[in-house]
Amino acid sequence: MSMRARAALVLLVFTASLARAGDAPRAVTLAAAASLRPVLPEVIEAFRGDSGAPAIEVSYGASGALRAQVEAGAPIDAVLFASPNEVDALVAKGLVDPSTRRSIATNTLVLIGPRQGPAVRFDSLASLPPGERIAIGDPRSVPAGRYAQQALTALGSWDALAPRFVLGADVAGVLAIVRRGEAAAGIVYETDARPFDDVRVLDRATGAWAPSVELVAAVVRGAPRSDEAARFLAFATSPRGRSIFTAHGFGPPRP
Amino acid sequence: MSGDPLFPIALSLRVAALAVALVGPPGIALAWLQARRRYPGRALVDALVLLPLVLPPTVVGYLLVVYFGRHGPIGRALDALFGARVVFTPAAAVVASAIVALPLLVKTAQPAIEAVPSELEEVGRSLGLGPTALFARVTLPAAWQGVIAALVLAFARAIGEFGATLMFAGNIPGRTNTMPLELYAAWQAGEEGRALLYAGVLSGVSLAVVLLAPRLAPRAQAFLERPRS
Repeated sequence: MSMRARAALVLLVFTASLARAGDAPRAVTLAAAASLRPVLPEVIEAFRGDSGAPAIEVSYGASGALRAQVEAGAPIDAVLFASPNEVDALVAKGLVDPSTRRSIATNTLVLIGPRQGPAVRFDSLASLPPGERIAIGDPRSVPAGRYAQQALTALGSWDALAPRFVLGADVAGVLAIVRRGEAAAGIVYETDARPFDDVRVLDRATGAWAPSVELVAAVVRGAPRSDEAARFLAFATSPRGRSIFTAHGFGPPRP
Repeated sequence: MSGDPLFPIALSLRVAALAVALVGPPGIALAWLQARRRYPGRALVDALVLLPLVLPPTVVGYLLVVYFGRHGPIGRALDALFGARVVFTPAAAVVASAIVALPLLVKTAQPAIEAVPSELEEVGRSLGLGPTALFARVTLPAAWQGVIAALVLAFARAIGEFGATLMFAGNIPGRTNTMPLELYAAWQAGEEGRALLYAGVLSGVSLAVVLLAPRLAPRAQAFLERPRS
C-alpha cells in the first residue's frame, strides 16, 4: 500500500471513529428544552451521585427543533420539552413510549426588559416607542414563542405587534437579545430570567389570558439506554428531584 | 408567523445585490491597489482583506453586534448623529453580507487587473489620462471579465451568508428573514417543504455562479494574452 493510500485509510478510520455509535456503552443522551439549562445539570449530578449511574449528556435547544431531530432518527434516549405538544406529537408518531410520558414541572411566562428600558406590561406592549423591538421565540419551533402567541392573541394584540417581533431560535437566544439591550422587551420563562441581573421582569403572565406552561418528558421508544433514561425521569419527579426544580423557581408538575 | 414563502427569496436577492453594490467599488479599488502598488503595510492590507474568508461568520456577527449595537461605539454614534439603529434591520444584513463577500471579490479581481499589461496603462498615461480615467478607460475595459467574475462570486457568497446575518440582522419575519435564515427556521420547525424550497433556490443560484464565473475569468486571461504576442 502506498504512503498516500495508507494515510487516507488512517484518516478514514479516524473520522469513522468520531461517528461510531455502537460497541462502547454510550452515555445516556437527553434532548432538553433550552429553559432547562439552569436546572438540569444539578438534577443530573444529584441522580448520578445517588446511584453511580452512567454519564448523561444533554443536547439543549428549542423543543420543536429537538422534536424534529428525534423524528429524523437522532440517537436520543429521552426528551424533556417545554410544552406537552412536542411530546404528544412524538407519541402520535409512535416515537416515544406513552407509558413513560410524565409532567416534570410547570413554569410561568414573563415579560422581560433591559434594566434601564421602558416599563411595559403584557397588555401595554403596543405603547413601546416606534422602532422598539420585541424578542420572542419562533412560534414554529419554540414553545415559549407559541405561549407568547397564545397570550398576546388572548389579549388581542398579536396581529398589531407582529411587525415588531424579532425571533430567537430558543429562549436563550431571546434572552441574549434583551440582555444586550437590542430589544426593549422579550418573552421568556420566569426561570430563564432569574439568574441574570441585567434584565428585569416587567410582568408575569397570570390570569385568564395566560397560557399554562407545563414541561413534559418521555422516553424514546427502542432507545439503547431507555431503562436508565426512565430511571432518570423518575428521579427528576421524585421529592429530591422536585426540590431542585423548586429551588430554581419552577412550579410543581401536574398530577 | 410563516409568512409569504416568496418574501425570503426576493429579500435575499435584494440584500446580495445591495451588498455587491456596497462592496464592489471599494473592493475593485482595493484589488487595483494590491495589483499595481507596492507600499509599506501592503501585506497587512492583504491579510485584513482575507480575514473575513477565514473568520467564522459568528465572529463577524458578534463583532458587528458589539460595535454597531445599541451600547457599542459605532452604534451609539449613529444613533446620536442620525437617530439610526443598524442592528435588526435589512441594512445590517447588507453589511454582514458585504463583509464576507469582500475577500472573494478582491482576490478574484486582483489577478485580472494584474494581467492587464502595464504597457497599456503607460500608453494611456502618455496620452495624458489621469489615474481615474486611466482605470475607467484602459484597465477596467481590459480586465472586465475577471472583474465581473469577481462580482458574481461576491454575489454568491453574499446570498449565502447565515451566521453573521442571524446575529446582526436578526430573524424578523417580513424584514430580515433571508433564505438561509428561513431554511434554518424551517428545518427547526420540521417544515421540510419550505426547507427544500430555499435549499433548491440557493443551490440553483450557486450552481449558476460556479458555471458562469470560470467561463468569465479564463476568457479574460486569453483576451489579455493576445495583444502581447
